[in-house]
Amino acid sequence: MADKTAVAQIDLTKVKPYGDTLNDGMTEVAFTLPVPYGDEASEAAKILAKKMGLDEPNVVYSKEMTPEYTFFVVYGKCRHTVDYTTIKVAKVEVDVMDRLECAEYIKENIKRPVVIVGASTGTDAHTVGIDAIMNMKGFHGHFGLERYEGIEAYNLGSQVPNEDLIAKAKELKADAILVSQTVTQKDIHIDNLTNMVELLEAEGMRDKVILVCGGPRISHELAQELGYDAGFGQHRYAEDVASFVLTEIVNRNMI
Amino acid sequence: MYLLEELSRKYKRISIVGMAKNAGKTTALNYLIEEAMDEGLTLGITSTGRDGEGTDVVTGTDKPRVFLDTGTIVSVPTQLYDLADAGLEILKMTDYSSSLGQIMLCRVASSGYVQVAGPVINANHIELCEEMLALGARMVLIDGAIDRKSIAAPGTSDAIILSTGAVLSRKMAKVVEETVHTVTLYRLPVLEEGRERELIEEHAAQDKIILIKEGRPVSLEVSTGLGAGSLLDGEIDELTTHVFVPGAFTASAVADINIKKLRHVTFVLKDPTKIFIGATLWSRLKKKGMNVRVLENIEVAAITVNPTAPAGYRFDHKELVDAMQKAVPDIPVIDVML
Repeated sequence: MADKTAVAQIDLTKVKPYGDTLNDGMTEVAFTLPVPYGDEASEAAKILAKKMGLDEPNVVYSKEMTPEYTFFVVYGKCRHTVDYTTIKVAKVEVDVMDRLECAEYIKENIKRPVVIVGASTGTDAHTVGIDAIMNMKGFHGHFGLERYEGIEAYNLGSQVPNEDLIAKAKELKADAILVSQTVTQKDIHIDNLTNMVELLEAEGMRDKVILVCGGPRISHELAQELGYDAGFGQHRYAEDVASFVLTEIVNRNMI
Repeated sequence: MYLLEELSRKYKRISIVGMAKNAGKTTALNYLIEEAMDEGLTLGITSTGRDGEGTDVVTGTDKPRVFLDTGTIVSVPTQLYDLADAGLEILKMTDYSSSLGQIMLCRVASSGYVQVAGPVINANHIELCEEMLALGARMVLIDGAIDRKSIAAPGTSDAIILSTGAVLSRKMAKVVEETVHTVTLYRLPVLEEGRERELIEEHAAQDKIILIKEGRPVSLEVSTGLGAGSLLDGEIDELTTHVFVPGAFTASAVADINIKKLRHVTFVLKDPTKIFIGATLWSRLKKKGMNVRVLENIEVAAITVNPTAPAGYRFDHKELVDAMQKAVPDIPVIDVML
């Protein structure tokens, strides 16, 4: 294959989307505009796509959602590139153990049941995040903490006030508290998450528990700013959380 | 104004506490760092969050970077070490972990920009400050994060700088009002020396709610005041004079207490950071006759104001400084954006 004529090469300092051929920039975007369905609507979508940095925008689909609102699917060639080589993302620095390895780790290193309390707090009514981590059936083929041997998991559900979660953690002498924030508006999850940290400090409990937050808008970098020990975003499962909590218990000598 | 000189004479550890995100904490930090450079004073710099990154992880807005002079002692987690353009000499690997890696103590060997982050737990900050002072820092500055105010606790620092600004409200009067509320809480009267104080200090370590009835202590078998309102209502009788709440003092702790009982007892808290009652409810409870004393209060060394909000509106620099200074005449008010 050495003599194959290469049309384009991957340059990690200038990556852009791939459609039919390398570096063609082909991108698909979908959005709704509050305008009536028609030619003017499609033109508006095209202009907007250009402003987004898509060259040669092509409205491949448009449909009236309800009178005065139109939905679009637009294809275009993205003109921007990203320097992949300079990206640095903060990650949880821990070796992930699977469910059985976690059980073994508890038996060997902690030698007592580990208590983990979790809830979706504040105004957030969504349990999908905390359930994915804690419930027995788990999520995406990853069993939840309730199924882990050696872990006593308490899932308090949704819309739990921070005060109630703390009172329960205190009562159960929890090793770790998991706080989930799935859908929140106007950054209210930030206020709610910092309020939790402040209350724990006031109760004199902050240095006695491992405090973890999670949700689609949570990152490990944000966790530092919020005052949490770790933050888990998308594509993180019970074993990621358990591995972190168990390793921290040992590191902090909370045995 | 030479703020730093004044501060360094009186205090060893200063926390910069924000009324909200984007109130200008890091700008206040940079202001002090610049003064320290002029004075040749060696600082220790740490943060309960993260400082000096280009853009904010919450709002995506630009954040001020942090430039440190040669000799400064600074806490840097392993994952941010490579991002510093200053030359950093690693003095020590601490035992504190953070989500950005293990925290290291470094000395700036050649000046430049640094991304600073420290432990997220207050108890760890107290120890870290001691280490920084031992390594040669004359004064340690702890930068806060978002609206996390617990670093204001008297055990953590000797005094605080309160950062406030336009971000709180589009109405200047509201910005002043909320800031004054926080300052008032921080300077709550201290429980006077005497039998009651002795009793409370003696039993405070038990971490239990303590009632003082005719000079005798009665501890309740609850470890938290959270949601304990109805229990307290039952326990407070005519002989009760003081109620010591060791942890958070929240709306739920006082909600169910009969107003007559609320009026004739004095609530005693460790320090003002334990109060989680908003300005409106607080003034309503005060009007009903609620009495609160603290064992220790908080020294507010200065107030910094930021007249611009990230939402795009701004106040007149002088007007805001004057309004704030008028409301709090005995604390220096500084516009850090000038």
